[in-house]
Amino acid sequence: MISSFYVERDSFLHSLDPRVKLVASFLGIVAMILFNSPYALLPLFLFILLSLRFLGKIGFREQWQVLKPLVPLMIITMIVWPFILKPPLFGLFFGFGYALRLGALGLITFSLLLTTKQRDLILGFIKLKMPYEIGLTLTIALRYIPTLYTLTMTIMDAQKSRGLELERGNFFTRVRKTIPVLIPLIISSIKTAHELSIALESRAFGTKKKRTFLHDIKMELRDYISLTVILGLFIAAAVLRYKYGVGYVRI
Amino acid sequence: MIEVRNLWHIYDGKKEALKGVSLTIGNEIVALVGPNGSGKTTLAKHLNGLLKPTKGEILVDGLDTREHSVAELSRVVGYVFQNPENMFFEENVFKEVSFGPKNLGLSDEEVEERVRWALREVNLEGYEDRHPYSLSGGEKQRLAIACILAMKPKYLVLDEPTTGLDEKGAESVKKIVRKLHRDGHGILLITHNMELVLELTDRVILLYNGEKAFDGGVKDFFELNLRDYSLDKPALLKISSSLGLGFFRDLESFLDSALRRVSQ
Ligand SMILES: Nc1ncnc2c1ncn2[C@@H]1O[C@H](COP(=O)(O)OP(=O)(O)O)[C@@H](O)[C@H]1O
Ligand SMILES: [Mg+2]
Repeated sequence: MISSFYVERDSFLHSLDPRVKLVASFLGIVAMILFNSPYALLPLFLFILLSLRFLGKIGFREQWQVLKPLVPLMIITMIVWPFILKPPLFGLFFGFGYALRLGALGLITFSLLLTTKQRDLILGFIKLKMPYEIGLTLTIALRYIPTLYTLTMTIMDAQKSRGLELERGNFFTRVRKTIPVLIPLIISSIKTAHELSIALESRAFGTKKKRTFLHDIKMELRDYISLTVILGLFIAAAVLRYKYGVGYVRI
Repeated sequence: MIEVRNLWHIYDGKKEALKGVSLTIGNEIVALVGPNGSGKTTLAKHLNGLLKPTKGEILVDGLDTREHSVAELSRVVGYVFQNPENMFFEENVFKEVSFGPKNLGLSDEEVEERVRWALREVNLEGYEDRHPYSLSGGEKQRLAIACILAMKPKYLVLDEPTTGLDEKGAESVKKIVRKLHRDGHGILLITHNMELVLELTDRVILLYNGEKAFDGGVKDFFELNLRDYSLDKPALLKISSSLGLGFFRDLESFLDSALRRVSQ
């Protein structure tokens, strides 16, 4: 059972300043949106895969674990496009690009979480002048996904022990059968959220506008170099896209 | 009888949670103890088919759990989960208890009869219209037991039934467990509470690192060096052994004996 996504590794991405990683992730996602042709998206996607593998020491199998739940969605996206865009083969090609975008979005988000401690992530958020609350809310929400998953499994087991058969029946009966699972889940989540807010308040959360930090982060030479390289790559991509029309298919 | 034969369970192809456990459970109260992560929950989930063996087999009154669904097995083995709130979803106690029997496909009259009976068994008569979440801790636990009992299983698995309850709540649950045993149910009690083991059970099964480390009478169990298994002796036994008084199941017989010693 995982309680947080972070995995301790000795890698370049792990040691990078969280601000650089936040900016890089943001620009990476924007870059995937800039282009719409698989001719540009596929190399970008492979570039992400490889840099995670070699700069972040996140193996292809771990990346696959992240991508696996997205695969059905990616396939649906891909087979929907031929109905929208003719000729069908071109639609499929175009849909492939959309699927890649989805996959990249998932990979980038998760690799940020896999290589950055929650504490540093929030710190990065604040140092980038983002509201502290947003950073905290986001990380708490992400932190609770595995917990909620485990809780859902437990509730499902409890209800199955009372004779609930989730797999049986047509679509509508199945939807109705999720109620015995959803209600305890929602009630328990509300309780947890309430307890969490008490815990935060009892530690005087929000009393001071300006926060001080126990741990601080500092940009070092290689952080500046990385940031420069990332910005350079992004500008190059933007120039290619807007000046030369590379990687964009007009439809 | 529940027969567990050479049970192995390996999670995700790598985590060996149970390593060749064999045991039988009849119409008795058996305590299943062991430190966190020793495999208690994993073992218990096999008894009603929530988990299937990686290797080995489980026969519940002759039924092989690999060949029957959880819904089918729930008529024979009832599993009361640790946190009662993880199962409550109806607006009142009556509906909550009727969920199980309804899933068994019984008629409305039969369901109603079973609900009334189950609520009587756990001393919750008159609570039919209360909201499940409005009950006290002990009452919630008893309601959870009623929900399972209404399906009339022969065996009951109770996971930490007294954890988080106050003395009064725990006492009410203990009373129910004794009564269910007298009525002929076999009961597997998963617990960390050694006082509860001492008071309620005749037989104890100790799991350690996925293996059965002990299976025998409660008196022999408390002669083990429990520290080796991250468990602790009940205070009552510590005092009585330091006084050289021997083995007692409850405070009263201990006090009797202690008073007799003093008056001599
Ligand atoms: N769903 C699961 N996936 C992987 N490992 C698990 C899972 N559930 C339990 N385990 C592991 O199996 C071992 C036994 O767990 P469990 O049966 O819950 O022990 P206990 O109930 O005695 O605390 C533990 O090491 C636990 O981490
Ligand atoms: Mg457990």
